[in-house]
Amino acid sequence: MGTFLQQLVNGLELGSLYALIALGYTLIYGILELLNFAHGDVFMVGAFLAAGAAALLVHNEVAAIPASLIVGLMLLVAMGGAGLLGVGIERIAYRPLRNANRLAPLITAIGVSLLLESAIQVGVSPAPVLVPTNALVPQTVLHVATVETPLTGVMLFVASVALMIGLDVFVFRTRFGSAMRATAQDREAATFMGIDVDRVIMVTFFVASALAGLGGVLFGLRYASIDFFMGYLLGIKAFTAAVIGGIGNIRGAMAGGLLLGVLESLVGGFISTQYTDTFVFLALIAVLLVRPQGLFGQPLTDRA
Amino acid sequence: MAQPRILVAVALASVGLAACGGTSSTGGTANKPDKVQIAAEGPFTGDQASIGAGALQAIKLAVKDFNSAGGVNGTQVQLLVWDDQHNAQTAQTLQAVGIADPTVLGIVGPMNSGVVLGSVQGLQAATPPLPLVSESASNVAVTDSGNSVAHRVNARDDAQGPADGKFMIDQGAKKVYVMDAKSDYSTGLADQTQKYLSDHSIAFQRDSVKAGTKDFSTVITKIKAFNADWVYFADEGPEAAPFVSQLKQQGLTVGQNIQFLGTDGEEDASIITTSQGAYDGAYATNITADPAGVSGTAAANYVAAFKAAYGADAVSKAGPFYGSAYEAAQVLLQAIKASPVNNGKISRSDVLSHLGSDTFSTIFGSIKFNAKGDVQTGGIYVYKATGNAMVVVKQVSG
Repeated sequence: MGTFLQQLVNGLELGSLYALIALGYTLIYGILELLNFAHGDVFMVGAFLAAGAAALLVHNEVAAIPASLIVGLMLLVAMGGAGLLGVGIERIAYRPLRNANRLAPLITAIGVSLLLESAIQVGVSPAPVLVPTNALVPQTVLHVATVETPLTGVMLFVASVALMIGLDVFVFRTRFGSAMRATAQDREAATFMGIDVDRVIMVTFFVASALAGLGGVLFGLRYASIDFFMGYLLGIKAFTAAVIGGIGNIRGAMAGGLLLGVLESLVGGFISTQYTDTFVFLALIAVLLVRPQGLFGQPLTDRA
Repeated sequence: MAQPRILVAVALASVGLAACGGTSSTGGTANKPDKVQIAAEGPFTGDQASIGAGALQAIKLAVKDFNSAGGVNGTQVQLLVWDDQHNAQTAQTLQAVGIADPTVLGIVGPMNSGVVLGSVQGLQAATPPLPLVSESASNVAVTDSGNSVAHRVNARDDAQGPADGKFMIDQGAKKVYVMDAKSDYSTGLADQTQKYLSDHSIAFQRDSVKAGTKDFSTVITKIKAFNADWVYFADEGPEAAPFVSQLKQQGLTVGQNIQFLGTDGEEDASIITTSQGAYDGAYATNITADPAGVSGTAAANYVAAFKAAYGADAVSKAGPFYGSAYEAAQVLLQAIKASPVNNGKISRSDVLSHLGSDTFSTIFGSIKFNAKGDVQTGGIYVYKATGNAMVVVKQVSG
């Protein structure tokens, strides 16, 4: 029983990472019906930006900077950098193709993904890079009965739940949110209503990519090791989570992410780590067969 | 959705023409071959660059040294660099160049067992067959599958596995958690070690993790539930740092309440840094000798030359195979030099037969291949992470 609960907690922790990335997939799909396959790599670049900032600031020669300030700067650099990268990708690789065949932006998305991976591999490091977590966050391990989890894992979970709620409020309770939903429903009509569609899309990309950047920072702080290829499989898993939850649906992305993490952890813990990916993608197929629209049914807005 | 992951990086590197000519050599120009090429193959970039890059530096140095000493009767050897990214399909694409060109006389590498096994049939079927001398492929099938082109200078899994198992038992292991990283190399080696443990009635549990795994919490929960006193991880290296860091975070500190034995790529001092010290006290075994750790002037001279060529800290960054890579290149080049030249051409068949019959003089002493293509002397070296270095603590003859 103790082991079961521990694996459940391990899974929730991993799942909240999937959820954080899945939120970005779902947000962009909700607005543009575009599968942004470069999203996992934006997450990876965010992690590298944070690691770069940390490497510069920890043990620097000028002055000792308090760890909390460094983490704050890492968040700023990674979220800002990833957000701008997302906006740039949209401007260069997707906007010119907005009215093209739907396959075209999918292919440029894959191109951008390869480009980012290769750029980091060649320009930064082909080998895993260290995030100096010991100097940045307390390495406290929390114990509840027999279950234990590092503080950074709890941070990951809390951050993704908080952001899910924040996004939900942003999309459904704010003026800009209604502009986003209007754009999602009918881009042309939204333009006639005086909505600056380009701006809405830009902001959506910024928010989604900044979330990925945040995911990158939290990933680095939790696991201390990042590499250029880590966004690939994680991106695909997050995409799977978004589809299982119902792509375009914010709560669905969250639920799908957590579900996938828990499934992976329990399969790894009680069946075999060899089969985790097999079960993940079996779950995807099962959901698509039984409930093609995903667990949470309706997309961000009704659009047939 | 599936993204093509083939990064075919074909780089042609013609290695330093240090001393031109060599006309003073005896024997005239009748024996001078028109063109001699060899290839270096391995994962020189990508996630295993930490083992490949140092090996490539060593091979480049070996070719340069060979050419400075006159090359093949005055002809400078040209080195082709085949970066296979430890992918057998990529390897086949690269090797096709050599198979088609009869002046490509041999390959130093491939480094990964999986790549050798996935491409050796093509090399064997070439006319004439294209010989390979690997510096690191340890899966038993590499030389056991009957392909006469395959040679290696490193020890085999069935020497390393039992040596690893015996080492852990000698250190008092009672319950061993055996992990592999799902590659031909790592699964084959973990099988051998597991067999030894099982034959000696040591309790074990087997698990595998994917290459590139960062989150080991599922595995660590299982290690705790099993109450293991040793963790054995057959891996090329990239996963070791996050794994031991997370072990420590979860209350299992290597060298204190858990012991760790890694293999080949894990005998890499940079893991101590990238794990923020969590690797201190870990053991790792290696199927090749570290030139800096053995006695003998040839090895010492090589270490000095390597530092002179690539910088004072190059040895610490060169990974586990910078010695065996130089050794493998020496062997291949000597076999080529011993082969007859007819009308300016050397035949690969002759290189192959000389590889099989000759005794070679290397930085680690004289070596000779047996009928399978294995070296008769090969040892297993046990390293321990101490401070910020990997120190040889034991050598087991293989």
